[in-house]
Amino acid sequence: MMEVEEGNFDEAYDVYACMQCGKCTGSCAVSLRSDLNIRELMRIAILNKNEDLEKHEEIWDCTSCGICTVRCPRDLKPAEVIIGMRSSLVEGGTIPVTVRDALESVGTNNNPWGRPKSKRAEWLEDLDVKVKNISEGEEAEYLLYIGCTASYDPRIQSVSRAAINVLTKLGVDFGILGEEEPCCGSEPRMMGETGLFEMLVEDNLTLFDEFGISKIITLSPHAYNTFVNDYPECAKRLKEDDVEIPDIELEVKHYTQFLEELIDDGRLDGEMMNEFSGTVIYHDPCYLGKRNNIFEPPRKILNIIPGARCIEFDRREDRSLCCEGGGGRMWAEGTGTGERNAIIRVNDANQDGANVIAVACPFCLSTLEDAHVTAGYEETMRVMDIFEILDEVLK
Amino acid sequence: MTVYILAEHRRGELMDVTFESISAARRLNDEVVAILLGTDLADHAEKVAKYADKVLVVEDERIENNTEAYTQVIGEIIKKDKPKVFLMGNTSMGMDIAPALAIDLDSPIATDVVGISEEGGRIKVNRSVYNGKVLSDLVLREAETSVIAIRSGEFSAADLEEKNGEITKVDSPLKETIENKKFLEFVEPVAGAVDITQADVLISVGRGIKDKDNLPMAEELADAVGGVVSCSRPVVDYDWLPKDRQVGTSGKTVKPKFYLAFGISGAFQHVAGMKGATMIVAINKDIKAPIFSVAQYGIVDDLLKVMPALTEKIKELKS
Amino acid sequence: MDVIVCVKKVPDTAEADVSVDAGGREINKERLTFAINEWDNYAVEEAIRLKEEDEGTVTVVTVGGKDKEDILRRSLAMGADKAIRVDMEDPEDSFVLANVLCTLIKDQKFDLVFFGAQSGDFNSGVTGAMVARMLGISHAAMVNGVEVLDGSIKASRELEGGLNEIYEIKLPALFTIQTGINEPRYVSISGIRKARKKPLDVMTPEDVGVTEVKPMLSLEKMYLPPPGKIAEIIGGSPEEAAAKLASLLKEKGAF
Repeated sequence: MMEVEEGNFDEAYDVYACMQCGKCTGSCAVSLRSDLNIRELMRIAILNKNEDLEKHEEIWDCTSCGICTVRCPRDLKPAEVIIGMRSSLVEGGTIPVTVRDALESVGTNNNPWGRPKSKRAEWLEDLDVKVKNISEGEEAEYLLYIGCTASYDPRIQSVSRAAINVLTKLGVDFGILGEEEPCCGSEPRMMGETGLFEMLVEDNLTLFDEFGISKIITLSPHAYNTFVNDYPECAKRLKEDDVEIPDIELEVKHYTQFLEELIDDGRLDGEMMNEFSGTVIYHDPCYLGKRNNIFEPPRKILNIIPGARCIEFDRREDRSLCCEGGGGRMWAEGTGTGERNAIIRVNDANQDGANVIAVACPFCLSTLEDAHVTAGYEETMRVMDIFEILDEVLK
Repeated sequence: MTVYILAEHRRGELMDVTFESISAARRLNDEVVAILLGTDLADHAEKVAKYADKVLVVEDERIENNTEAYTQVIGEIIKKDKPKVFLMGNTSMGMDIAPALAIDLDSPIATDVVGISEEGGRIKVNRSVYNGKVLSDLVLREAETSVIAIRSGEFSAADLEEKNGEITKVDSPLKETIENKKFLEFVEPVAGAVDITQADVLISVGRGIKDKDNLPMAEELADAVGGVVSCSRPVVDYDWLPKDRQVGTSGKTVKPKFYLAFGISGAFQHVAGMKGATMIVAINKDIKAPIFSVAQYGIVDDLLKVMPALTEKIKELKS
Repeated sequence: MDVIVCVKKVPDTAEADVSVDAGGREINKERLTFAINEWDNYAVEEAIRLKEEDEGTVTVVTVGGKDKEDILRRSLAMGADKAIRVDMEDPEDSFVLANVLCTLIKDQKFDLVFFGAQSGDFNSGVTGAMVARMLGISHAAMVNGVEVLDGSIKASRELEGGLNEIYEIKLPALFTIQTGINEPRYVSISGIRKARKKPLDVMTPEDVGVTEVKPMLSLEKMYLPPPGKIAEIIGGSPEEAAAKLASLLKEKGAF
């Protein structure tokens, strides 16, 4: 994740170890439907021929699912090489206008959606329960980190409201940051805006420190991943550069992990729920699965729901098919033609006999929701976040 | 109080804003004198004279299509006749001429004006600011002549009183040919196969369409309903649609029977180009988007969800 | 080509809720975000492109307090060479601003001066042409294309209806730039950091030699527009709303 000066990819990513076996391209979530060929990009990196990167529009096709990194027999990080390439395009200023606008919006509005900061908490308006706002001085054990997409996207806002309802019913001592909640920086980092990410890490750690926040529950696996994996590394590097960063240890959990603990502690069980009718298939998000090996918690939650018949995709866990929502793809359509992965996914779910696709990620919800409408399953299938299912069944 | 207005014309056509300027000038309740500059002005002069108290015609080919020559000639006429107000459209031409004229005449200026009145001998204007979300009342400082540029489409010319004013030829006061700023030519927008000004139904898309790849969705709806796809400015800026599809002050003015605005916030430049539509429907996520104040019907939702659904329903109803 | 670009920082009010403060002469700005005026951003990009094509310098200028410096830093990161901020309260109107800018610019070396065609706050679109007149140089408003000739510029002006008119304009000249003339580049945070070393001069009005002038306009009041006729909202899910709209369109004879 270090800043790559033009022409030193080889050193930055140790790409000489690459033996051009092509496992990365073979496993890639989008290589079948787009021009993205990671092996070729790795070769460009090895040869240091990155002067013509502008011509490689497909660099923006990568969803940053991370499967190439998982599969690389030499333990290289091809996904990071792509971020490095994006980074050099970002520094050069020539990037797709939609990506440009998203990044600029993070700078001005603190979210990539181009929506005003002052409307970040509008989703709260329809809620019946009172939520603590940590930024207004209220104290809580946990910060529920909503994230940009679940704050602004009308469909995903319902997950945020469901989360509030569920955590409140379960007696969890939590609060939110409301309008003051910052962008976590995961998407800017994946889009190659290293400097912006560093700035967000610095600002956000300072903000968490200021409000005494040490325990965080995230709605999004992307926020989870960046808080857990990228923040410590980035903070360490910034400290080495003499940037003043508060020394705080963050205890971050994706909400499915948190709920799993409640189950283990006996604070959440099937007795507390009404019957749910449906055949539920769980779609592993890349940022929980491939990137963080978190497979069990969401399944455990779904399994205690009375009446829910849980089935599995053939392609699951670390082989789960990426929905193409991450890696900045919300702001870059990519060169891909043919069927979107999300369509393939809802078709698979339909074939497997599911009538509910359970997700645990705002991007998956967004892409699969769209796909299930496009594929014509509106009447027969629902795409639901696990929080939404719980909100529906909890007494 | 005398108000001078500029009769704007281009390539043989008199612009609507000429009559809107007369309409605005009438709010100040007095004699309206129109200035008509260039060549081949006889027809224009008659049309303008119908509603103006007087038309001053300066035939001089050095003035035709040259905004600098316009500025100098208008300046000379105003200096001589000293009208209380000089008024023209806040058009592209107005944006070039009016501020320069104000400096030449040492006059106060207000542009993009949507309301005008006189109070105790001073001119008061109403302007819409901050993206149309706020109105402001401003008073121009005392001066021999004030310069006003009105927003196109704000002052209706529908009920202008007939005056059949006198047409007076004036010798060109232009001292010398303008050498520093030479008009070369007009360049047509790159023409596509589609003329959005002729369509009865426009499916118009704005920033909310989010991506070029979502445009086929709009085309599909247009096909289903027998309409044409148009757009707001950002879509052209992004090169997602050609310029001849753009509705608004910097694009085309359209008056279709049905105007469906998808993901268009309703910036005034856009609204000015479409508010003549018979029925306007706005589909936008933001209920506070200004487009809802010109629309008769609205859907507050994501256009990417509504648009394909609408296409389906229309196909159903047709079959 | 030496180009001076005048820029302004404006609040983003496109989507935000806007309210008028108790005094009725200004909007409440606490919850708004601010950025370089959109038109000005295109102007800065165009100036930098001219420099990159040929040679020369780009100087960006703004008038206002220290909080306005970020848009200058950003322009420096885009590729401008030098920035000047005239340290004073926001001028009362465009005429007062034009007077300050004219006084500043007349002592600078330049071939071209760029302004945004208008600003996103008050959309007056007068400052550029006023400055040109005060400087005694040629100008063109709403410029959407620039081609450098020998000693002059071929400039395209955007007219209504998508039509353009082409002028040949002798240098020095001033243009007000319309959006869409180019595709402004992205300015990265590390780019802004690196541009910190570039010169940013702060001048007082006295340094500039500004003489006081009276504003042309005095603001009486600002107020929110009356709630007017609001569209009849068709409710329900996207599908339900679409179904109702489809029936309505059919009923009214759209198809």
